[in-house]
Amino acid sequence: MGKKGIAHIYASFNNIIVTITDITGAETIARCSGGMVTKSAKDEGSPYVAMKVAQIAAETALEKGIDVVNVRIRGRGGKKGGSPGRGAQTAIRSLVRAGLKIGTIEDVTPHPHDGCKPKGGKRGRRI
Amino acid sequence: MAKARARAAAKKVRDKWRAKNWYKIIAPPMFNNIEIADTPADKTSNLINRVTEVSMQDLTNDFRKSHIKLFFQIHKIEESNALTRFIGHTLAADYVRRLIRRRRSRIDGVYDVTTRDGAVVRVKPFATTEKRIQSSQKRLIRNVMKKTIIEQAKTKTLSEFIKDALDGKIGSEIYKNCKNLYPVKRIEIYKTEVKKQPTIKTEEEKPAEKTKEEEKTKTEKEEKKKTEEETKTSSSAKKKIVEKKKKNKTKATSKTSKSSNSKQEKDEEKRKTSTSNK
Repeated sequence: MGKKGIAHIYASFNNIIVTITDITGAETIARCSGGMVTKSAKDEGSPYVAMKVAQIAAETALEKGIDVVNVRIRGRGGKKGGSPGRGAQTAIRSLVRAGLKIGTIEDVTPHPHDGCKPKGGKRGRRI
Repeated sequence: MAKARARAAAKKVRDKWRAKNWYKIIAPPMFNNIEIADTPADKTSNLINRVTEVSMQDLTNDFRKSHIKLFFQIHKIEESNALTRFIGHTLAADYVRRLIRRRRSRIDGVYDVTTRDGAVVRVKPFATTEKRIQSSQKRLIRNVMKKTIIEQAKTKTLSEFIKDALDGKIGSEIYKNCKNLYPVKRIEIYKTEVKKQPTIKTEEEKPAEKTKEEEKTKTEKEEKKKTEEETKTSSSAKKKIVEKKKKNKTKATSKTSKSSNSKQEKDEEKRKTSTSNK
C-alpha cells in the first residue's frame, strides 16, 4: 500500500505554492512555487505555471514513495478575502496527471469571523 | 535554469531524507488499533505530539461518515509503531454550512464535562430548527442540551462517550428531551476537544467512589456556573440575532440584483467604469 500525504496548495492571484507533506504535516516531502518555474512575475499565478508547479512537486513526492494525497486548497483569505485563485483547478488536475491518487479535496481558506476592517476606507479604493 | 536549480536542491535534500525512518501511525484502542498512515522522522523524539487528521470514513469504511474528522496525537513509540491518543473531532465546514439556512435558528452550546474515568472533554453541540424561534425557547433547549450531555458523560468512560457522540446517540437523546419544548430538526455535536486525558484507568469500585465525591463538589460548582453561563448566553444570543439580521439584509440585496436582467447590469457596470475612469 502506498503512503499517504497532504498536498497543500496555496493559490493566490499572483502566485502558487504547492507543498506536499506527510499526513501529520510535520515533514515536508516536496515543495515548488511559481518563481521556480517562470522568470516573469506576471506569469507566476497563471494556470499554465500552476500545472508545471504541481507536476514538479508530484514527481518528487512519487520518487519518495507517496502515492495517495489529500488536497487542501487555500486562497488569500483573511480580511482581504478571496477564494482560491486561477491556478487551483489546474494544479489538482496535474497532480492526478502525474500519477498521484487523490483522497479528499478540502477548501481551507481562512475566513474571518468578523475581525479587522480591511483597508481602503468606507468608500473603498478610489483610482 | 530554474529547473536545474530545483534539481540541485532536491539532491541536497535527498541525503537527509535517506536517514529518516518511516513509522506506522496506529489509531487508539477505541478505534480498534487500525493502522492509519505512515510518517517519517530522523529521531523518535520528533514524532511525539504530531497530530494526524483522519476522516471517519477511512476508519469504518462507512461513506456516510465522511464529514467527521478525527484528530489523533502521537504520545508513545513502540519499535516502528507510533501509538496515538484521541484529542478531538470536528465536522467538515461545508457539511455544517449546509445544515444552517435562512429564517431558521441555530442553537449553540459549549460545555466542559468530566467523564466517569476522569477525562475532561469540551463538547460543542448545535441544534437547528424548522422556524426562527425566540431566544427564551433557545435558552430552554440549551439547558436541556447541557443537562443531557453532563448526565451522559457521568455514566460513561471517554471512549464510550466519544463513540456515542460520533454515532449520534447523544444527539438523539437530546432530541427526545427537547421534543416537548420545541421540535428540533437536527442535533449534531460538531466539535469535541479532550482537555484532560482520562486519569483513572481501571474500572473498579474504588475509583467509582472517588468520582462520586468529585461529582458532588462538581454539581455544586456547576450550579454556580449555570447562573453565570445563563447571563453570558443571553448576551451572546442577542449578538447573534443582530448578526443574522445583517446577513439577511445582504442576502436580500444580492438576490434582487440577480433577478434583474443581466443586460441592464452590464450597462450599469459600463457606466460605472467609464465614470470612474474619468
